[in-house]
Amino acid sequence: MVQPQRRARNPLSAAVATVLLLIGVIGAFWVPIYARSAPKLGDFPFFYWFQLIWMPVVMVLCYLAYLLMRTAPAVADDANGAAATDGQGAK
Amino acid sequence: MTHINAVSFTIVIVLFAVVTVTGFAAARWRRAESILHLNEWGLGGRGFGTFVTWFLLGGDLYTAYTFIAVPALVYGTGAAGFYALSYTIMVFPIVLVFAPRLWSIARVHGYVTPADFVRGRYGSRGLALAVACTGILATMPYIALQLVGIQAVLTVLGVGGTSANGFIRDLPLLIAFILLAAYTYFSGLRAPALIAFLKDTLVYVMVIVAVLYIPTKLGGWGHIFGVASTHLKTINPKTHKPFGSFIVLPAGEWAYATLALGSALALFMYPHAITGVFAAKRRDVIRRNMAMLPLYSIVLGLIALLGYMALATPAVNAGVKAGGGNAQLSVPLLFEHMFPSWFAGVGYSAIVIGALVPAAIMSIAAANLFTRNIYREFFRPGASDAEQTRVAQFVSLIVKAGALVFVLALPKTFSINLQLLGGIWILQTFPSIVAGLYTRWFHRWALLIGWAAAMVYGTIQAYRAPVGGQAHSHFGGSTAPVLGHVMYIAIAAFVLNLAIAVVGTVVFRALRLPEGADETLPHQFTANPEASAAAPVPATVPGTRPGSPSAT
Repeated sequence: MVQPQRRARNPLSAAVATVLLLIGVIGAFWVPIYARSAPKLGDFPFFYWFQLIWMPVVMVLCYLAYLLMRTAPAVADDANGAAATDGQGAK
Repeated sequence: MTHINAVSFTIVIVLFAVVTVTGFAAARWRRAESILHLNEWGLGGRGFGTFVTWFLLGGDLYTAYTFIAVPALVYGTGAAGFYALSYTIMVFPIVLVFAPRLWSIARVHGYVTPADFVRGRYGSRGLALAVACTGILATMPYIALQLVGIQAVLTVLGVGGTSANGFIRDLPLLIAFILLAAYTYFSGLRAPALIAFLKDTLVYVMVIVAVLYIPTKLGGWGHIFGVASTHLKTINPKTHKPFGSFIVLPAGEWAYATLALGSALALFMYPHAITGVFAAKRRDVIRRNMAMLPLYSIVLGLIALLGYMALATPAVNAGVKAGGGNAQLSVPLLFEHMFPSWFAGVGYSAIVIGALVPAAIMSIAAANLFTRNIYREFFRPGASDAEQTRVAQFVSLIVKAGALVFVLALPKTFSINLQLLGGIWILQTFPSIVAGLYTRWFHRWALLIGWAAAMVYGTIQAYRAPVGGQAHSHFGGSTAPVLGHVMYIAIAAFVLNLAIAVVGTVVFRALRLPEGADETLPHQFTANPEASAAAPVPATVPGTRPGSPSAT
């Protein structure tokens, strides 16, 4: 079997995708950001509307990350490209 | 609540009948030549596209118990219950990172369970057994809790719930579960996949109507939040502390954050979630789904708000009190008092069917684990595909019967405590599974010791957590003070687990203890083989590389 072909992934877009996903997670994990009642949105205290709005934001972030991580058309699909995609793979 | 509402009850019966027929008919859906292969029965042919997978995973992860328990928690404690929302915000960005790798390696090697992967990656039967047993242990009480969800609906419907005769009382639940067991037996994963369409449609309709309609009847959101905030500040006579808080207090922030993070990390360690991932047709299906599944989380956020609507409805509070202070009745009671009976029936059906879909997938996942990682591994190494499937079908029945016994014979708190423990336990398989997707640095024995220590530590901590206001009580919650901060026990155990695994690996490597064979290759973690599960060779996506030489 020949070394299977790799789909090259631009390391930059992988990094950007990771950052986007991290923003999404931290926005929910860092509770002091939203553990407050003001400002209100309509009748909704901040604590509630922030989390309800953060959800679609994370959806968009996930979708952007998906686009970035999706197969790039194989341009630099050589040995270098293959090595760069995987980081610390197994032996 | 003592007499049966004929209209609601009829709607529930009709929709239940539709689901049952669908469940049996699913055996013919995308039928393979033979269902006697675990890829067919246990993973629906590994051919679900984006759309089906979305319904399947959504139907799988957002269970009836969620619909009952999350609003009940909000009803009882206020803002703290919203951790469920924060948790479902975090879960998809996290899973988006590692799930495609898990899918790829499973597809290349034909793994059916997460323990199969651990076995192949570390060459360790012991570690695989640990992962499999943890999965089964954590799943069983989860199935039992689906029954608890159905029971809450039946109680409010007035079906059986008040009869003195135990058999009559439990009969509706028994019938529902026997039918579920039968079509799961015949149709395998195809049954819940097909039923999930109906379930999720009902859930979306129910939630959208509830959120738009109920507040208008209760005097608007301002009134609902006002009542909730006032109630949560009042002192609970049992605990001599406020009932809860309307906004998470600084002292509760760490618990809130770790509960959310721990649950998010744990969710896709559950066998039933991984089963949903493995059943997908392409690698892209997984990623795309992680970007689309948060839609369900929005629904969950709205469902959590039902808890406040229930608080603002005096009739619900009276009903909960009459039911012995059982907050789990709050949502079914809310439907009963707010909706015309036909629509209440739709809402009840959404919850009942919402219990059946995950219960089916969970029992299939547990059956797969038993068959692959216990039966085949330790008892019948040469078991054929057909034999494995027959064993799994049989075990799925046993698992459901076990869950039924759990709920009917033991106090309900027993299932709830075990499910709480299940969340703590399942997270302890994270290092073996997820770290294994990226590196073979960890030593298999170090991972095993870390897992064992964390299981013991987590169990003891959960046992020692007192119920509010009662000294010397046990399993009062999933948080405990660790180093002066109240946090989710699963996360504390997880940190211990990782620390032991790291130290152990350094030591075992220095001692040059055998590492075990690794049957995986680095490129297989990003492989994207086409639909046929039989083809073990990774192929490129057609069209991306015109004129390129063939992969083989």
